[in-house]
Amino acid sequence: MSERLSDRLAGGTSRRGFLARTGAWLVAVTTGTAALAVGAEDADAYHFCGHTFTTASCPHPTGIPRVDIKGYPLRSRDGKPVDDLGRLVDRHDHPIDEHGHRLRDTDGLLLPPAPRSRICQDMIPKRYGIEVHRDGSWYRCCGGTVRRLMDCCSTHRTRINGDAALAGYCAPGRYVFCVHYFQTSVPC
Amino acid sequence: MLTAAILVATAFVAGVTGAWSPCGFSMVETLGSAQPRLGARTVRLSCATFALGALAGGAITFTALGALGSLMHAGGAGLALAVAVAIALLAALGEALGVRIVPQIRRQVPEPWRRVLPLPLAAGLYGVLLGLGFTTFVLTLAVWALAGIAVAIGSPLAGLLIGLGFGAGRALPVVVMAPRYATLGERLEQRMAEQPSLLRRLRLADAALLATLALVMLASGSAAAAPVVVAPQGADPSVAGDELAWQGPDGKAVLVRGDTRRELSAQNVAIGGPNVAVRRGGEIVLLARSTLASAGTQLTGAGSPSQLAVSRDWIVFRVRRPGGGDLLYAASLRRTRIVLVATSSHRGRLGRPALAGDRLAYSVATPSGSRIVVQDLKRGTHRVVVSSTVHLLSQPALHDGRLLYVDASYCSQQLRVMSLRNPGHGRTLLQLGTTAHRDAGHDPGYTTQGSEPSLCPPGSPGRTDRVLWTTALGAHVAYVTLMRPGADGRAGAEIVRVPA
Repeated sequence: MSERLSDRLAGGTSRRGFLARTGAWLVAVTTGTAALAVGAEDADAYHFCGHTFTTASCPHPTGIPRVDIKGYPLRSRDGKPVDDLGRLVDRHDHPIDEHGHRLRDTDGLLLPPAPRSRICQDMIPKRYGIEVHRDGSWYRCCGGTVRRLMDCCSTHRTRINGDAALAGYCAPGRYVFCVHYFQTSVPC
Repeated sequence: MLTAAILVATAFVAGVTGAWSPCGFSMVETLGSAQPRLGARTVRLSCATFALGALAGGAITFTALGALGSLMHAGGAGLALAVAVAIALLAALGEALGVRIVPQIRRQVPEPWRRVLPLPLAAGLYGVLLGLGFTTFVLTLAVWALAGIAVAIGSPLAGLLIGLGFGAGRALPVVVMAPRYATLGERLEQRMAEQPSLLRRLRLADAALLATLALVMLASGSAAAAPVVVAPQGADPSVAGDELAWQGPDGKAVLVRGDTRRELSAQNVAIGGPNVAVRRGGEIVLLARSTLASAGTQLTGAGSPSQLAVSRDWIVFRVRRPGGGDLLYAASLRRTRIVLVATSSHRGRLGRPALAGDRLAYSVATPSGSRIVVQDLKRGTHRVVVSSTVHLLSQPALHDGRLLYVDASYCSQQLRVMSLRNPGHGRTLLQLGTTAHRDAGHDPGYTTQGSEPSLCPPGSPGRTDRVLWTTALGAHVAYVTLMRPGADGRAGAEIVRVPA
């Protein structure tokens, strides 16, 4: 998501971090305040609102990679927390139904909890065996509130798509492995 | 059994078809024409070593392919079956139409061996090369098809059967023709060389067998995949020998053997060895399975027990802790002692226990991961058999060194069985969709590119409200509760049976 126009400039050459930063500087200088206009409407994007390039989502139990502020998965359409099986859960990680009632078995006992993993910091190391960091982010207006678009960064040059990773908002020496977002409650 | 027989027959005919290859002709001529020079005994010995070599070669190739398939899919029975059926049907069509063999391996066995090595040794080595199947010319698509089917089935045993059938087929023409080369072999060799219709007929036979194989696999696979409802309103199955017990919805436990059905009052029931264990309120009572009379053992004051397992020497029961979490106790029926065997924290849950002799299995589920533990109650040892920090592994059952359990992810719920001696390789007996409401992975109106990592594999079943719940494992069948969880005690359940 955070591969901006600067990334495209850098990505077309060596994809080195300093080029991405140089690209960012050029974009800032040449576009000036025009960039501030982005966000008046929902940001035009790739596979979800606000994401502006081709890096794929971090694997998410319900699909669209929406997370809470700590990185735990939320259901995209309503922001309700889900576990690694995609089940709605309450704040104690008990599975619940659509009305918030805890689900019980035939003995009337609560269903067992399933693992609940942060989709960048926990899930990526589990599934791909690489160390990741949630380095940088960018904010755009999506669905009437501000959306924080976050890169899941690693030192690997290959992103989750299987091709060359871009610098995005990652710290120097790290590249975007996959992307996810946090939807704030700030109206826009 | 029928599938195995047709697999072997198909491989055998495919092997016979191989006699029409440059190497096949060469083998008959090499061994047959040596008789005047080396004697009948040497030729017969060479035929024997050739046959052994061909069997060994076939066994090596196809067993390896079966093992490879086992490593590749390790379950996924439905998809594997579909792939195997598709391969068989396509190859059958190709054989029926007599299409050119593609890809063709244009290699032959080394000719100098027959001159520099003792004939029995050379014949044995030639046999290995021909039995391997893919080191020399291939004269039928069935060989390629059988290779694909061996991988798709993913069973080393099935691969071995295919390999032995193929090796036997490769050996037969040589063994029949070479010792009688002057009287029979040479004449047959001429007919093989001059009458293409013979090869055509064999390829039609290959086609017929492959088509039959596809149909039989489809029929047996469909039957295996179709669960049979055994208790429309029941939960928590338990098996001992040919008897099945479960918990009914109205506080009654049901025991069924053949046409005999018995009921008794209970909130939980388990059977094992000569015993029936039932929970009635806060009491656990042991009954004789043959008569349902009291066996004299009664456990009281165990808090709030729920879920039981029983064997000849043990009762294991789960108790809910007041502050959350579970305790698992084992009561020895021989020494009348009770030991605490497992606990879970207030955020975790212990699953329904399962017993087979002294062996206990239970699951532990927490928000940070899940695992299935097998414990030897007699020795006091235990080991984690399977674990996951992403999937929910639960509902174990044991039988004769095998473990049945449920593996749930955000894409599917699978009922899996594995050997405790080889826990890395299980197979899926039944698969349901996830209970999660999943989205398309992209916002409406946006491109789909980038949503791939969260998508489920092709062929994943659709969403369901039902949960694969408690299980039981018999010698040849597995039982699982299909539960619709609910709030306020409205959960519903049925028990289904699948072949295991």
